[in-house]
Amino acid sequence: MKSTVMKKTMYFFAVPALLFYLTFWIFPITKLFQYSVTDYNGFAQTFNYIGFDNYRALFNGGTLGNSISNTLVYTVVSVVAGNLIGLALALLLNMKIRGKGFYRSISYIPTLFSAIVVGFIWSYVYMPDSGMIATFLDKLGIPNDNLNFLGSYSSALYSIIFVEIWKNVGTTMIIFLAGLQTVPNDLLEAGRIDGCGGWKLLRYVKLPLLATSITINTTLSLINGLKAFDFPFIMTNGGPGTSTNTLIYSIYKMAFTEQMFGKASALGIISFILIIAVTAVSVLLMNRKEVSA
Amino acid sequence: MKTRSKKRTGTLLLALMLTLLAGCGSGSNGNQPANNGNASTKPEAEASAAATADTSSSTKKVTLTMMVSGTKAPDGQDFALDIMPKLVKEKFPNVTLETSKLPDEQYFTSIRTKLASGQGPDIYWVFPRNASLGVLDMAKAGYAADLSDLAFWDNISQGAKEDMSYEGKPYGIAGGLDYLGVYYNQDLFKQAGITEMPQDWPSFLEACQKLKDAGITPISLADKDPWFLQFGMYQIAANVVYPDEMDFDTKLQAGEKSLSDPKWAATISKMKELYDKGYVVKNSLGLGSAQAAQLFIDGKSAMIFDGTWDYATLTAKGAADFTRGFFSLPANEAGQPTYVSAATAAGFALNAKSENLDVAKEVMNYLFDGQSDLFKAWTGANSSISVYKGVALNHELFKEVNDSYLNNGKSVYFPNQMWPTGVAEEMEAKFAEIIGGRKTTPEQVTEAMDAKFKELWKNK
Amino acid sequence: MNSGTTAGKMLQPEPALKTRKPFNAGALLKKTLLQLLVIVIMALNLIPLVIVLSTSLRSPDNNTNPLNLFNELSFASYRTAFERMHFGTALLNSVVLTAISVLLVVVFAAMASYPMARIKSRWSQFLYLFFLAGLVVPGQMVLIPIVQMINSLGIPSTQYTPILMFVTCSLPFSTFLYTGFIRSGVPEEVEEAAHIDGAGLFRRFWTVVFPLLIPVTVSVIITQGIWIWNDYFFNMTFISKSSQSPLPLAMLGFMGDQQNPTQWNVLFAACMLCALPLLIAFSFLQKYFVGGLTVGSVKG
Repeated sequence: MKSTVMKKTMYFFAVPALLFYLTFWIFPITKLFQYSVTDYNGFAQTFNYIGFDNYRALFNGGTLGNSISNTLVYTVVSVVAGNLIGLALALLLNMKIRGKGFYRSISYIPTLFSAIVVGFIWSYVYMPDSGMIATFLDKLGIPNDNLNFLGSYSSALYSIIFVEIWKNVGTTMIIFLAGLQTVPNDLLEAGRIDGCGGWKLLRYVKLPLLATSITINTTLSLINGLKAFDFPFIMTNGGPGTSTNTLIYSIYKMAFTEQMFGKASALGIISFILIIAVTAVSVLLMNRKEVSA
Repeated sequence: MKTRSKKRTGTLLLALMLTLLAGCGSGSNGNQPANNGNASTKPEAEASAAATADTSSSTKKVTLTMMVSGTKAPDGQDFALDIMPKLVKEKFPNVTLETSKLPDEQYFTSIRTKLASGQGPDIYWVFPRNASLGVLDMAKAGYAADLSDLAFWDNISQGAKEDMSYEGKPYGIAGGLDYLGVYYNQDLFKQAGITEMPQDWPSFLEACQKLKDAGITPISLADKDPWFLQFGMYQIAANVVYPDEMDFDTKLQAGEKSLSDPKWAATISKMKELYDKGYVVKNSLGLGSAQAAQLFIDGKSAMIFDGTWDYATLTAKGAADFTRGFFSLPANEAGQPTYVSAATAAGFALNAKSENLDVAKEVMNYLFDGQSDLFKAWTGANSSISVYKGVALNHELFKEVNDSYLNNGKSVYFPNQMWPTGVAEEMEAKFAEIIGGRKTTPEQVTEAMDAKFKELWKNK
Repeated sequence: MNSGTTAGKMLQPEPALKTRKPFNAGALLKKTLLQLLVIVIMALNLIPLVIVLSTSLRSPDNNTNPLNLFNELSFASYRTAFERMHFGTALLNSVVLTAISVLLVVVFAAMASYPMARIKSRWSQFLYLFFLAGLVVPGQMVLIPIVQMINSLGIPSTQYTPILMFVTCSLPFSTFLYTGFIRSGVPEEVEEAAHIDGAGLFRRFWTVVFPLLIPVTVSVIITQGIWIWNDYFFNMTFISKSSQSPLPLAMLGFMGDQQNPTQWNVLFAACMLCALPLLIAFSFLQKYFVGGLTVGSVKG
């Protein structure tokens, strides 16, 4: 019976979406493969094929390794910390607290603002000496002379990751919160009767039921992290030095500042492969966990 | 060249999609009158523009598009967005000028993409020589039109014209001239007991020391915005690299000189000295340009290296009231003259592929005729120092530097105008390691600059 | 007391007699502390936005440190932003762009997800992953080839060209949400009656299935609507007349660059103006939003 209800002709429903997707996304992406073996500068009307020189230059230069490692740090930290904070907030708001709905709305507000504005505000929050954090520490009497969030090689990357988390944690939290609300109350009650403490309830009852929320949040922040561009671009210009150069920022700089579109395409393809590999592996891992949980 | 068949399939796809679009969009979009207007007025920047024989521009209805980089005027009318379209319409009733303005980073991306896809505006903004979106690139790629036949070249300074020329012909109209210099707080200088303005590097360091001893931060710099470094660096280079070798960059481009030259290492070392001795605000790597300017206008630092274009920000009212001054950074040795760091500012270029090139030229001739309302509005709105004959200096603050530029002719352009874009960025990234306390040496900075220069120059 | 460690075991109900804890002061204290903690965290969340508000309420030439909160209350910056952005026109442009794009996204993505969710074959799974893979490619990377593609198809650069890209870039995430929702939330049985009535696939989808997709549709509208509303990247690539600019592009004009100082007060006022319609829309839609995303995410 099934085959007569669900006909193969259904595939025609995908045609409009597929047309857009192939024409304006997939085909242009394949063009990058062509450009990656040229010396195209992004605007001239002619270019030459130069074989794999771009790739060779990338593997010999320092940009590739540096931006990959920055991107991976960015991704891992924002995925782990972002999800932990989001989960903690969700657990907090899931308790019987007055004004829950109000808080939930508030936590979503940062998402509505553009990255440009968020970046600028945080530059003042992080500013040495007279910035918000420095002033606050002054009031508490904590010395902060060497506090230089965005200007020190060791902390700049983590500081912008924090802004990324701050901006997205609302969404993460809402998804977790929604997941938590699917946890049946009698189940929790039963657990409590069984003598489970808060931690055990979380570990053995809530977390398994949150598996889907975790998968979604992780996948989203994973992709966000691997594509990180806005905050390095707006807040640090990749600096100090190259310490906050992410892959996409490096590509952008190569393509539009240094006008080496060919080389940027090559880097684009490398990072494209990397992003797909990382995402695929983690999605597979999570799917297995989800099933076994 | 693209294959024909691909193009045909593409057109077919498009037709399909547009049908879909039309079907789906009509509900919410049916009453948009603007929709039809666009289609007819959009610039067709196709090769057919070669037919320039048509001189009936005074009667034919024409829409010109113009894109410039910059920020919207905070109050009153914006020259490019409001005044120019209005005045052009008054003079040429058949010409409608549509303009838009973007900050430079976004402007670069947008204009390059538009030019590359043949959708470039008729009038746009180019930068001198080899700068990002420089006139040389645009002319070489065939996007900028030869402007030799414009009427007003006699009124534009020779230097400004040359900086916008390719193979001896002008392809851009410079908006003016910019100086790099030191804005300083006269009150704080007095307070620190500095009675005489420093004339050379040793006395400049001495002044910094006096300020520091008096508990005043001598210089605030915004190293979180990497480009800010150039504002000091190029003033030093003007006095170290170029005085006895004005053709250094020509030799560099010919491969006879390199950026790892000791003179560049000496330049970097001088800049480094300011940081080593603690004259630059601490944690400068954490300050953006807005924050560094804040320190200056709040009276918390005595100096800031910046260009004439930042006049409005640096003379804005902050937490403290004080008298400002402006001088060229004396990076010269004792007994030597100080060279001014001065360079041609960005300006207009015309799209070589525009089918309205003639009309655009007429508009430019009108804009720069030296007497029209449009010209007056332009000189009033322009933040750069005019290179047009007979226009007075816009701000009294710059008088001394301007006089010294005009009278003894000792000036050097900004070196990055002779480098492919990317070299200055490499310098900034490497120098940040020095500021950040890493063990990078000036020689390592110059080597990195040189490597980047060689990589990028072969692509030119 | 060390028994139930698995969820399954805990499902078994046990006598619930001696479980009610007596009221005590400790619990109350804990609760108050929790409440306090939440307030502190939320305040942290809001402080930067308070700075935005305070800065936007200064006149354009007030350049004191933005951390001096509310040292001036003036609508001058708002007036400037309002006029210089041509707020009315820009708002209309934004609304039109976002509405058309979101509408198309909903239609295309819902339709495309239908076969991906219903047909269980390697092809449909491939299609699903194929769309999803598009999520990982950043737009900055492909901008130039995209523009060349659009140009070679002969599509002119108009005010409406960005819609093509908004729709395209929204497809991966939207099909992801829709497919998950249909798979888990819309059982095939609901279609059987319509099938027996002899309704064609098309009618069956639009009259039976689509109405059930309202919750996830709201999620799609919110998530995609927000980025489309805020995007300036594609807008600035295709739009070159300021009279056609939507809000974010008009707002960009207040942002400075290396040679033009940013007018922060005006920019922030502009930003508030730009976010305001979103805030209003969000406050109306938020309860649907949570619902949609959850149901849609039950099995991804």
